[in-house]
Amino acid sequence: MRPLEFGRLAWRAIRSHRLRSALTTLGIVIGIAAVIAFVTLGASLQAGLVGDISPDDQRNLYGWAADPDTEGGPLAGAQPVFSQDDLDAVSERDGVDAAYGYMPISTQALVYEGELSPQSDGLVAAGPPYIRPDTLEEGRQFEMGEREAVINPAVAGQFEENVSVGDELTIALQGGQQTTVTVVGITDTSEGLSPFEGFEPSPRVYVPTDPYYTEEVESATAGLGGENASENGSSAGGGTGVGEDALFLAIVVQAESADDADVDRARESALGYLESDDSDASELLGDELAVTMQTSTELLQQLQDVLDLLQSFIVGIAAISLVVGSIGIANIMLVSVTERTREIGIMKAVGAQNRDVLGLFLTEAVVLGVIGAILGTALGLLVGYAGTWYIDIPLVYPYGYVALAIAVGVLVGVLSGLYPAWRAARTDPIDALRYE
Amino acid sequence: MATGTAVSLQNVRKTYQLGEPVHALDGVTLEIPRGTYTAIMGPSGSGKSTLMNLVGCLDTPTDGTVVVGGEDVTTLDDRERTTLRGTTVGFVFQTFNLMPRLSALENVALPQLFQGVGRSTRRDRARELLERVGLGDRTDHMPNELSGGQRQRVALARALVNDPTIVLADEPSGNLDTDTEADVLDLFDEFYDAGTTMLVVTHERHVAERAERIVHLLDGRIERVEELDDAGRDSDVAQGQRDGVDGTGAASGADR
Ligand SMILES: Nc1ncnc2c1ncn2[C@@H]1O[C@H](COP(=O)(O)OP(=O)(O)OP(=O)(O)O)[C@@H](O)[C@H]1O
Ligand SMILES: [Mg+2]
Repeated sequence: MRPLEFGRLAWRAIRSHRLRSALTTLGIVIGIAAVIAFVTLGASLQAGLVGDISPDDQRNLYGWAADPDTEGGPLAGAQPVFSQDDLDAVSERDGVDAAYGYMPISTQALVYEGELSPQSDGLVAAGPPYIRPDTLEEGRQFEMGEREAVINPAVAGQFEENVSVGDELTIALQGGQQTTVTVVGITDTSEGLSPFEGFEPSPRVYVPTDPYYTEEVESATAGLGGENASENGSSAGGGTGVGEDALFLAIVVQAESADDADVDRARESALGYLESDDSDASELLGDELAVTMQTSTELLQQLQDVLDLLQSFIVGIAAISLVVGSIGIANIMLVSVTERTREIGIMKAVGAQNRDVLGLFLTEAVVLGVIGAILGTALGLLVGYAGTWYIDIPLVYPYGYVALAIAVGVLVGVLSGLYPAWRAARTDPIDALRYE
Repeated sequence: MATGTAVSLQNVRKTYQLGEPVHALDGVTLEIPRGTYTAIMGPSGSGKSTLMNLVGCLDTPTDGTVVVGGEDVTTLDDRERTTLRGTTVGFVFQTFNLMPRLSALENVALPQLFQGVGRSTRRDRARELLERVGLGDRTDHMPNELSGGQRQRVALARALVNDPTIVLADEPSGNLDTDTEADVLDLFDEFYDAGTTMLVVTHERHVAERAERIVHLLDGRIERVEELDDAGRDSDVAQGQRDGVDGTGAASGADR
């Protein structure tokens, strides 16, 4: 007897108990949907993030000081400890090409040609190399000490008239001061340029730490006790007592090349200095804080590890769901075999071999399993799609897992159908025909 | 007409152990030549169905040998017995035993499915048989949409689908009205005329009288074998003769 014939008969039996069959497959649907949804999200997240690490970024090390026990992504629990002197010293070290500070600055709004656009964050002060040449769509990097800025397309496009290179933009800082910058470049993406910023697209303006950050610290220190006293939330350097010296929240160290060896050398070199008594940072680090210094890839790896852990967790739950689902199918198949004892007797009486009966019931279980798997996959992809749409990352279909899900459906069907089908095949035709 | 033995029982016993043993068949020896028409009669519980199940390869004897279509059923394994009942014998059950979820056509086609016959061939063959039993316009009806007599005819068509050399019918007319019964029995006559060995269990004399001989069972033994005198049944003349004898000729003749 051909598989297609089995399938046709099995389908008929399943259809005659629609509700029962639907409820039976629910366990499989939920289990598979959970896995597919999560895997879709995971794969999309991974593609969205890993796809963002450009080769030019591979030689950058991102460092910040935090309690070593702090869990979380880049900058979690970061304290501003890096002084300009430290940065200068680090850039002189062996194996270090450049080192600069990183500091997000709070703002109130951006003003372009009299048009005001409220904006609470998105002003980033860093060194010129932070704007990697490969990320520039047009224009150039800003220069240290100049009132220049690089903006991303989200900023350029958020006013009635597009902002272009050479235009002037006014930034209203948190403290109420206003400062005007000349746009010298526009990046090619609205996503963050480094793991510090996060990867979700949002409007961002990049400016040199000098003058913008240093100036702000000065004004904050000067205005202490005045109307701007509450302003120093983000520019925490103002209140730390290291005087007017600006302290940076994070440091970016550029190695000589993206080579693993060069990156490691730059890391050791930079960390060696920052942790030595020569640095200003070491004073502030004390016993509680430690400097973390990692490449984008390494930082993403941590995220990946968290994802992997979550994934094992979900897969565990899904496995339980699948086991429950299999038991459900096995149970229904047993009921079905008993209900259809007489039919089995008829089939055997007219020449059905044991393996025909076995195949028939096994097919039925497998069809149930596969239906569950298909519905689960569809549901999972739908949820995954909704998820990627919600967190705004590109959707990546985990084709491998879809195939795997169907295979699991078949496997669940076979495993749960085996015993009932064997019972059916073993039925004695005479007893079965006598069965009322 | 073919010669030789279609069914041969040698000292067959079937014993059920229920506290004390029940001898459903107690030493039955019977030869049924090919192409003959045999009726089996006997009171309830005399072992008629047990005998049919043995000949139909559904069951195996406790003792003795059962030879069907030249094969000793007692030496065959389950798979070979299944093949034999799928190809050599066609069984018409008293209770029809149709598959409730399959249409008349699919029911008739079912035995061929297990013989690996292709779908379209199967359906053509089933349609042809249903037409032959007068149900050409009921092919897509479900069993519960058919009358008792129609169901019996579907069961009959199914029994014949694999061209069996032996047709077994256990009280085929047990719950049919006179007209429908005559229809079914006329069909039996047709198959008999075509050379099929017929073995029919019945309680009713007029049904049994269509056969060449009647085997009377009593308490699991053959009480006597009654040879009916229209021995030359294979000729058309004999056909008409018999119709006159059994008393149902008028009813069945009107149908022809
Ligand atoms: N599976 C069984 N277990 C125990 N006893 C059985 C079984 N099948 C049949 N018998 C016994 O064997 C005897 C013969 O049964 P069988 O069914 O052959 O009778 P029958 O001649 O067909 O009767 P009826 O005309 O009522 O159909 C009966 O006494 C019955 O009780
Ligand atoms: Mg009986």
